[in-house]
Amino acid sequence: MPCRVLIVDDEIAIANVVARKLQNAGLETSVATDGQEGYEQALARRPDFMITDLQMPGMTGVELCTRLTAELDEPIPTILLTAKGFEIDRAVLTHLPILHVMTKPFSPSELLAAVREALGLCAPA
Amino acid sequence: MIELRRAAAVVLLFLGVGVGLHLLLEPMREAGQPAVVKAMALGAGLAMAVLGIIGGVLIARVPKERIDGVTEHLEDMVRRGAIGLAISETESDALGRLGHAINRYLSFVKEEVEQSHLEAKERQIQMKVLDAEKRHVEAVIHAISDGVVVIDAFGDLMLSNAAAEDIFGFKFDPAVRRPIEEVITDTGFLALINDMRETGLFTPHRTVGWSQGSGEQARTWRVILNTVVEGKRRDRISGVVAVLHDVTKEKEIARMKSDFVSNVSHELKAPLASIRAYTEMLVDGEARNETETREYLHVIGTETDRMNRLIDNILNLSRLESGLVPVNKTDLAVTEILRDVADVMTPQAVQRNIRLEADLAPVFFRVQGDRDMLYQAVLNVVSNAVKYTPEGGQVKISTYLDDSAVVVDVADTGYGIPPEDSGRVFEKFYRARHSAKVVKGTGLGLALVKHVVEVIHGGRVTVESVVGKGSVFRLYLPAVR
Repeated sequence: MPCRVLIVDDEIAIANVVARKLQNAGLETSVATDGQEGYEQALARRPDFMITDLQMPGMTGVELCTRLTAELDEPIPTILLTAKGFEIDRAVLTHLPILHVMTKPFSPSELLAAVREALGLCAPA
Repeated sequence: MIELRRAAAVVLLFLGVGVGLHLLLEPMREAGQPAVVKAMALGAGLAMAVLGIIGGVLIARVPKERIDGVTEHLEDMVRRGAIGLAISETESDALGRLGHAINRYLSFVKEEVEQSHLEAKERQIQMKVLDAEKRHVEAVIHAISDGVVVIDAFGDLMLSNAAAEDIFGFKFDPAVRRPIEEVITDTGFLALINDMRETGLFTPHRTVGWSQGSGEQARTWRVILNTVVEGKRRDRISGVVAVLHDVTKEKEIARMKSDFVSNVSHELKAPLASIRAYTEMLVDGEARNETETREYLHVIGTETDRMNRLIDNILNLSRLESGLVPVNKTDLAVTEILRDVADVMTPQAVQRNIRLEADLAPVFFRVQGDRDMLYQAVLNVVSNAVKYTPEGGQVKISTYLDDSAVVVDVADTGYGIPPEDSGRVFEKFYRARHSAKVVKGTGLGLALVKHVVEVIHGGRVTVESVVGKGSVFRLYLPAVR
């Protein structure tokens, strides 16, 4: 069974390109274009992994991650994408299952490598 | 016997002249002329001595009636408070000569007194002028928008102005000097003052930051402290002057600029991220067919355009504000501009399921304006209305004549602007906290609107808003008659 990755980004072009990269690598993906939608999808589908943008209208990536962590027994390992970088308060992230923070612009290949490393067994070689 | 009479005569003259001069000088002392009083007292003393001695010597020799006459005359002058000729100088004997001397002396005294009166009057005028100047200086200090607090050598509040009273919340009474600690309670500020009083000799000028309150109410001042140093060796602090300049606004502008840079870089990075990612996909051969290749190239193209638009917006506003863009005003119809904007915005509104209505009067209201600039301004307002209105909402553009202005109303059923933000949405870089979460933007759109309407066209922009109900942006443009 392929790993299921939820991608949340209000920049639809970014969400699509990440999805395409992961699909080409054999992963199953679903896309949400804001925090609220991401939250609902995550609860409904219980993905194995999440890639979310930080700055989104309504609910930010960190807020999304915080809510999901509070609600789910199994935290969803997450990669945070952001155009902000150094402005992030790292202390906020320590209690969240955020494995990496990748700053935009990013390399889809590097993102895929990070997802594979995190997923380990369930990702096909 | 003769000795006794002389002594009596001396006492009599002393008393007479002394009392007389005392009566004359008393009103002047009351006028507050210590120098004059001193001079006159000295003169009176001398006069009493001279007259007493001469009178005492002569009194033994002259007939009693004539002496009585002179005494009565002098007493009469004292009673009337007058100074003038004392004695008729018909006789050429000793008493006559004494009379002559007394008369000359009295003339001298009269001149002196008149001179003193004159000087006193002059001094009064000078004091009035000084008083007026003091009041003027105080009024100026009072009117300064910076807070001014002056403390004397004893640590008492000597002078302060309205701005300082506002900052610290006290009422200054110039008639009562009170210790600064009794008037101002802020320990931080008191520490600044006390430190200045203790160490101000070594560093007589200091500029420090000082803040009051927290959160939304937080205000920051730049406090310029100066000690007033006195003494021959300049070794004594006779006071401290503190001037408080409110830098809250400057700090806010600095914060907004930093926010702006952060916003702009974020906005620039978003399209850049797409361009970078799709390019890599193409390079890595991730496009599986011709259609996908074309799709990736298309994204790269549109994202490049988007980035370019953003840069243009930033440059436009900066060029507009610096007056580099030539203004080309013509006689034009506002209605036509509104129609064009409505046409351009319709696809976006349709996409978001928002009803965009242009209720345009058949009358073509005319203004003197730069078409491109006004178009951009109206477009920004309408585009905001569409962006900040949830799906299913409505945006209505209308125009009408109000007094001598053509008014453009852009009303939406959007999220609305909280009261604390509505006064500031036209400020450059400012973004309402809520809107920053809902919609992306640079905080430049309305700043451009304000600049175009108010600075370039001499009009006015206002906003009325109710959170949860919507906003009405109103552009007033001077009408052509």
